[in-house]
Amino acid sequence: MATKKLRRAKLSQELCERLSRYQITTCQDFLCLSLLELMKVTGESYRNVQKLLRKVSLACAPKMQTAYEMKVRRSINPSAAFLPTSLHSLDKVLHGGIPCGSLTELTSPPGCGKTQFCITMSVLATLPVSMGGLDGAVIYIDTESAFSAERLIEIAGNRFPTYFDSDEKLFCMTRSIHLYRELTCDSVLKRIKSLEEEIISKKIKLIIIDSVASVVRKEFDTKLQGNLAERSNFLARGASLLKYVAEEFSIPVILTNQITTSLSNGLAIPADLVSPAHDLSLSEVTGASGSGKKESACVTAALGNTWSHSVNTRLILQYHDLLTRQIVIAKSPVAPFSTFFYTVEKSGLVLQVIHS
Amino acid sequence: MQRDVGSLPLSPALRARLLAAGFQTAQELLETGPCGLSKEIGISREEALEALQVVRQECAGDAAKTAGGSGSTRKCTALELLEEEQTQGFIITFCSALDNILGGGVQLTKITEICGAPGVGKTQLCMQLAVDVQIPECFGGVAGEAVFIDTEGSFMVDRAADIATACVRHCQLIAEAHQEEDHLQALETFSLESILSHIYYFRCRDYIELLAQVYLLPDFLSEHSKVRLVVIDGIAFPFRHDFEDLSLRTRLLNGLAQQLIIIANDHKSAVVLTNQMTTRFGQNQSMLVPALGESWGHAATVRLIFHWDNTQRLATLYKSPSQKESTIPYNITDKGDQNHSWYSRDLQIPALTSGLPRCAASTCHPKCRRY
Repeated sequence: MATKKLRRAKLSQELCERLSRYQITTCQDFLCLSLLELMKVTGESYRNVQKLLRKVSLACAPKMQTAYEMKVRRSINPSAAFLPTSLHSLDKVLHGGIPCGSLTELTSPPGCGKTQFCITMSVLATLPVSMGGLDGAVIYIDTESAFSAERLIEIAGNRFPTYFDSDEKLFCMTRSIHLYRELTCDSVLKRIKSLEEEIISKKIKLIIIDSVASVVRKEFDTKLQGNLAERSNFLARGASLLKYVAEEFSIPVILTNQITTSLSNGLAIPADLVSPAHDLSLSEVTGASGSGKKESACVTAALGNTWSHSVNTRLILQYHDLLTRQIVIAKSPVAPFSTFFYTVEKSGLVLQVIHS
Repeated sequence: MQRDVGSLPLSPALRARLLAAGFQTAQELLETGPCGLSKEIGISREEALEALQVVRQECAGDAAKTAGGSGSTRKCTALELLEEEQTQGFIITFCSALDNILGGGVQLTKITEICGAPGVGKTQLCMQLAVDVQIPECFGGVAGEAVFIDTEGSFMVDRAADIATACVRHCQLIAEAHQEEDHLQALETFSLESILSHIYYFRCRDYIELLAQVYLLPDFLSEHSKVRLVVIDGIAFPFRHDFEDLSLRTRLLNGLAQQLIIIANDHKSAVVLTNQMTTRFGQNQSMLVPALGESWGHAATVRLIFHWDNTQRLATLYKSPSQKESTIPYNITDKGDQNHSWYSRDLQIPALTSGLPRCAASTCHPKCRRY
């Protein structure tokens, strides 16, 4: 941990006092200095400083595990590795469902069914393990005020009619979904920081943030100078906090995003513009330069490139025709590219088989 | 022996005292002896003894260097280097085109950087390399172990297990075709379990943990001398936020690069880093460039950039001291990166035109087969 005080890194008392005179109190301060600077502040010889560096590093460094140990741990508890989405073909391709311990992003144009999907996942998480759920509570951070409790009950009742046969069960389920309405980036970040304690106290098994894009795009206008950096900073900090929480407690985190059609953000890279002779850059196409031989305006997920790196799995929902939509696995460490068609019904999302 | 006192690696306070007392060369110090030294400068005898031991070690090291000793020097002729390079192994990627442009595979003792947009396959390649480094020598591998430092949390054990299983099967096919004794012997120890047990995984959550881990890496590699690959998946991620002081970031990154070069050379292992792409706004265009700035570009010896061309993944060898710049297509199958393969992934989605919704599937391959 970076903010670990040097005292806890087993350095001697006088050394810690001497270092605190130079305002070096945490491991972070210590490791950011070069060797010569360390020699100056500690007053030790080169060899001793290297030994000290190793000691402080030992206090901060992560523990080693072999991939085999990780696999064994996973296989002991297979049900804890994924949250099945109850869309069977999707689950099969994803090797089980939404992975626990990593961030999953859901992107789509408005009205495709992101919130429906999130509500369905909240129901699923509260189900007992025997039915494919996680038997736990859900934290739902809603920034668009789109969550509807009535719809929640409708989906639960129609999707699992045999399980939710009594009002008691429905109320029990709704009691374990904790809804937070956050309307600014700051409050979202504060809420994410407080997640660790809530998870332990309320036995949370799923975190949903719907949606990250709306609150970020409301507050940060990337055309203004400096805003892009601040936005990336906020997103990166949020992402790393969420990742820490997801991994620590081994729970899935679902985030939703929007689609942008902004021309300068298109990620299309025509082959003839890419050449190693260009220095270090892969040019993106802007709408104006399209000469009509291909679609020049492309839509991509909002929030930029850096955010795309932070999420581990990305599912894209989009329209297919008037009634059916499709869900595309765009980024996943375990699944290949796949497309599934679905419609939104009373019971939430239902997969369809389209014969083209 | 004539080494200047000011250049000795003693503590600064001690050095200042020695200079104030008038000592100039290391020879004088050694002649005075610990008791004389302690009386002249006013330090305890134990401290004086310690200082003299440091001086003695330093001088012995110097003498070995000037006499042309082999151990600690890094000096050799180009012919020796050529012989070394020719016998050195490569870590193959099982994608023949990629191996070709790299000149045989990922080279040992060099730093290779892989940059690419999200979802393009960097972590897949790293996992593949962590498996391929363990291929026994009779099959053309380097029979080493791998250290995997993960900063983004994208390492999936199940996927690594899939790749490992495919690799073992591939080697089994080769062994069946050739029917040689050492092949079958090697296969006995080359199993899924042994492959996964030799991937040493570290999860670093922030840049301090990463720095700490890299400081500890030389000791770890001395204990596990069979390690031939160090992967840092996501060197950009921990450095891209919470850094107001960009000069500190540059300094830390440079220090990191230096240490990695030393590790690569001393332990004869390959270092593979993955980097993100960031958007740089030009005059009327925005471009995707590797993250972490221009000066980081100097750190890696070999730079591979993975990108998309509509639906085809391409790899461009951007920087290499020995190979020509070139671009090749590649694909990812369930067995890992392979050259001949089945499906490709579509990252762009065509726009909604005139209100009528369009399907992305119409632009991707109509026959997307899955293996």
